[in-house]
Amino acid sequence: MPKHIVRLIALLAGFGVLAAFAKWYFTVDTFYEYGHYRAASVTEIAAQEPVFQTPRYCEACHQERHAQWSAGNHKSVICEVCHGAAQGHPQNGKLPIPKDTARLCSLCHEEMPGRPRTQPQIDVAKHSGGQQCIVCHNPHAPKIGAAAARITGDASAGQKLAAACAGCHGAQGISPNDIWPSLAGQHAAYLARILGAYKSGAQKDVAMTPIAQPLSDADVRDLAAYYGSLSCKSAPGPAKVGDAAAGKDLAKNCSACHGETGIAGNPAWPSLAGQKGAYLQNALKAFRAGLRKDPLMAGVTRGLSDADIANLAAYYAVQSCALPTEGKKTP
Amino acid sequence: MKKTKTSLAARRAFLRKLGRAATITGAVVGAGTAGVMQQAAAKSESPSASFPTPEYDWTHHRWGYGVDATKCIGCLRCVEACKRENNVAGDAHHFRTWVERYVYLEGEERPHIDSHHDPVNIEASGSEKEYRFANRYKGKKVEKAFFVPKLCNHCAHPACVQVCPTGATYKTADGVVLIDHKYCIGCQYCVQACPYGARFFNEEHGHSDKCTWCYHRITKGLQPACVEVCPVGARVFGDLKDTNSPISLFIRNNRVQVLRPETGNAPNVYYVGIDKEVA
Repeated sequence: MPKHIVRLIALLAGFGVLAAFAKWYFTVDTFYEYGHYRAASVTEIAAQEPVFQTPRYCEACHQERHAQWSAGNHKSVICEVCHGAAQGHPQNGKLPIPKDTARLCSLCHEEMPGRPRTQPQIDVAKHSGGQQCIVCHNPHAPKIGAAAARITGDASAGQKLAAACAGCHGAQGISPNDIWPSLAGQHAAYLARILGAYKSGAQKDVAMTPIAQPLSDADVRDLAAYYGSLSCKSAPGPAKVGDAAAGKDLAKNCSACHGETGIAGNPAWPSLAGQKGAYLQNALKAFRAGLRKDPLMAGVTRGLSDADIANLAAYYAVQSCALPTEGKKTP
Repeated sequence: MKKTKTSLAARRAFLRKLGRAATITGAVVGAGTAGVMQQAAAKSESPSASFPTPEYDWTHHRWGYGVDATKCIGCLRCVEACKRENNVAGDAHHFRTWVERYVYLEGEERPHIDSHHDPVNIEASGSEKEYRFANRYKGKKVEKAFFVPKLCNHCAHPACVQVCPTGATYKTADGVVLIDHKYCIGCQYCVQACPYGARFFNEEHGHSDKCTWCYHRITKGLQPACVEVCPVGARVFGDLKDTNSPISLFIRNNRVQVLRPETGNAPNVYYVGIDKEVA
């Protein structure tokens, strides 16, 4: 064979060996293990730690909140949607409690073209009057008083029971003095809830607790139905406490639940229009002091001064409790 | 004449030798390759031992994803959760999943399409790190509107994998398309190849990036972060090999479709309730 051919073959063979070595040398470990890729990268990706921990992780410590949340309408919204990913919690500190709930909630509940009809949606500006959502809604169980809204009691049975209440609350549910609340025309759902709270001991009162404790659940419903059916006899007297005009401005903060003139649109909340001034004053002070336990009312009364409370009480005391038929009545 | 004959004989002899050499080389190379192939085939049988969770065997799973666009409310919690879960760059223009809004106004033929990185929506959220759809069609005469969540389709025949020059992107045995960030050279050929625009380039680290269906979660028995946080169940995930998994039920109980079937990529994200304009 001619020399130059031998050299050429040797050169090609040398190149082949070099190429094979280069391929072996430069191909990383595990490259062809499963296919044309680095097998180790699969395990590297799979080894990443999960950041979102799921509600089960939260439940271990926050059982009470978890129970409330999982029974409510927001059970499809996991904890970490609002509070952020739980990785590193609690070791690295607390998770945030959203402050600007009006902004947070509107992410899902702002009325917007494209959202399915089944999604509860609101016109944010009209719905809340600029208030934070948590003033009325519990974010862990957002539906307000759905279960309590319908009270099916026997009003005539309630009337017989009510004889015992007449001493303080008046024969027709209109209290004869300024200290005790009138009950006539109040939302039955609210009455049942509050009377039930006295009965169970969730709310305590020197006078009401011993009266409410012997009542049966049916009695509570009957009484609520009876007082709810009475006419509130719209005859607001002059305010005995505070300045009603000054209370009007403050009352804007209450309107979302208690209505603009104190007539609550939602039966779960009490109407305040035409209620006794001194009673309202005492109730607000009790909420502020934590004697009456309600997370919503505790929050909204915290910043009120004694004068604010007196003015608010005066404002609601002079409102007409009858639903306005022609336009809005102004005091 | 004679001279020609001699040279022809020499040429024949040479070609014969060359042929033999080629045959021998071919045999050697072939034997070598066969060895490698055998090795590869043997190892792809059961890689479960090398997984961080010993109970996970990828030959027992084939993952699939469903999107019910009729349920989506456009809250963008999925986009936020994905960013956080996978540590995706914190600006509006790098994302592994996104939600498109299609709005048909009365008297117009084409829909208005926007997503969270639209300047109007960035302005509404107030920052590129928060995501919110601006209520920009409020009060307008909207004929039809809906939201469509999108993500990597983890195709059965992925164009992105085909074009990758280095083997940095690949399809796993359980049906997920992954990217080896250490092996990616950043040529962005895959970003171009994907017909769904599901990939993006991470300029900071110089590699391509995309949805992994939260491979680190699903191999631990968790749901992908976007599915976990979706408040309305618009996103569904599960094992196609399990006939009672959420995704199997989703496909069985709905009339599903995939995006751009004509590209031949055979996507594995199944949609319900999208319109002709969605691709």
